Amino acid sequence: MNNPSSASLHALLLLSDSALPLGSFAFSSGLESFLGHHKHSNARLQAFDGFLENSIANVASTALPYVLNGYDEPEALQDIDNDFDASTPCTVARRASVGQGRALLAIWEKALASSTVSTAEAQTAATGVSDFVTKAKTSKPDAFGMNLNAHFAPLFGAVCCALGLAAHDTAYLFLLNHAKAVLSAAVRASVFGPYQSQATLASTKLQQWVNDSVRRESGKEVLDAAVTAPTMDLWMGRHELLYSRIFNS
Amino acid sequence: MSNPFLSTKAKAGSGSIHLALLPPNTPRLRTLNYQYPLKLVSPAAARAGDDLVHTVYLLTYGGGLVAGDSIDLSIGLETQTKLILLTQGSTKLFKAPSRDVISKQCMTVALEPGAALCYLPDPVQPFERSCFEQQQLYNVALPIVEGSKTGSLCVLDWVSNGRPANGEDWSFFRYSSKSEIFLCQPDDKKRLLLRDNILLDDHEKPESIAARMDGLAVFGTLIIYGPLFRQLGQFFVDEFKVLPRIGGRNWDSNSDSGEDEIDPAVSRRLERQRQETEDRVLWSAAAVRGCVVVKFGAREVEGGRRWLKHMLSEDGTIRAQFGERALLCLR
Repeated sequence: MNNPSSASLHALLLLSDSALPLGSFAFSSGLESFLGHHKHSNARLQAFDGFLENSIANVASTALPYVLNGYDEPEALQDIDNDFDASTPCTVARRASVGQGRALLAIWEKALASSTVSTAEAQTAATGVSDFVTKAKTSKPDAFGMNLNAHFAPLFGAVCCALGLAAHDTAYLFLLNHAKAVLSAAVRASVFGPYQSQATLASTKLQQWVNDSVRRESGKEVLDAAVTAPTMDLWMGRHELLYSRIFNS
Repeated sequence: MSNPFLSTKAKAGSGSIHLALLPPNTPRLRTLNYQYPLKLVSPAAARAGDDLVHTVYLLTYGGGLVAGDSIDLSIGLETQTKLILLTQGSTKLFKAPSRDVISKQCMTVALEPGAALCYLPDPVQPFERSCFEQQQLYNVALPIVEGSKTGSLCVLDWVSNGRPANGEDWSFFRYSSKSEIFLCQPDDKKRLLLRDNILLDDHEKPESIAARMDGLAVFGTLIIYGPLFRQLGQFFVDEFKVLPRIGGRNWDSNSDSGEDEIDPAVSRRLERQRQETEDRVLWSAAAVRGCVVVKFGAREVEGGRRWLKHMLSEDGTIRAQFGERALLCLR
């Protein structure tokens, strides 16, 4: 059981489990607002398909470079956190990101920190995340008056590295988890039932979207991370205007 | 060794603007250089309140950028100076022979403490098969004396779907625009304060950008930063908070309010909100890291322009601090 590939498979299954207490179920990534803005659209299913495709592509273009940067340079997590914060000028998206980032730190501290793999990269990542936890607790602003925020994307990358996941698997996992969260939100928002949701999740179409995005965004520097579906920003931002809400984003 | 003839050899498309503060307190346009295809025109400075405000028009020959053109503008604003940047009509982006011929526009602004920039241009208008990248870099110097004021920015970045009359609808190859604000300490240490980066690439699938834009014909970002624009930023945030709820029922019927006189500001707001619905303007405002970032989209460019003009006029900061001229592109 000590061979590295089974250890990384084990970690992969843990991190892809929807029972991982990240609270992802509380966020719809703009879907609820999107549906609110498209009340009268009769082709709801088709509209959802387009939403999901754009949502995956947009999360990939805005966050995946940060996931991989956190994976590659866990010692720079604090700077990466600042840059991600500076690049997310949407209150609702920040709330979702910080909420899940803090949850991940708690899981790290209470559960995962003791189960890292022994390679040098993994140990550097583990140290990086643990340092971040300590710094985030003291929460002293830096010389520019900025605080640590604990955004999800870079921390997720570093945690995956500490648990021995390969970079490509980390990227795929990040996007698939996002797709799962949006699909589960769609079921709860009554876009369709659980079977249809699983069918979409299993489809080659969705695999294609995820693979295309991973290919496109891997190797991109964080300073080139960009919004590729600007309407997502609008829907996310306008989530606060919904009369009634079941999600936090 | 420095070359005294440097300016004649300057790169095509480069330019620089430097606004200096002469003692005791007079702002003066010290430098205004430009190379073809860039052209800078500066009308006489005008007074706004107690301040002398300079204006520069950013122009290009032909009203736009041909494939492969590269503009590189650097701007320096000394302490207490105020600059308005304007365009004359939308910046047209002409067709590129292929995807790898990219036209570029780069603007770097250094803002000393207390200086202010108001940049409300016309939208960028990318034609079919065009390819464009632009970058706006704002370096805001932090004051040496703690508690004194930093520079201020009110900058707009917006793009339209092209020429709808010719059947264009986000039909370009690629458009990208990045705005960054860095805070700079006297010892040259820098920290990223804000980055707004948008990239629209068709990935060789025609009409894929239009599908992503969901019927919008224009999309923009307004960034507001600094002490001079605090009220303006707050205005956007407050107006966003009181927008009508989506999916809510309107329980007030106007007849039973009992008050015959409605506050004129409230009735202007209601009129604006009615116009927003008619023009299908969607917008949001967020206060983050000392900036206010406003994102908006509209079904037509004119609707977006009308909305922005109304918001900026209603607040009044721009007019009071920079004068009517600053709003010229929104007419």
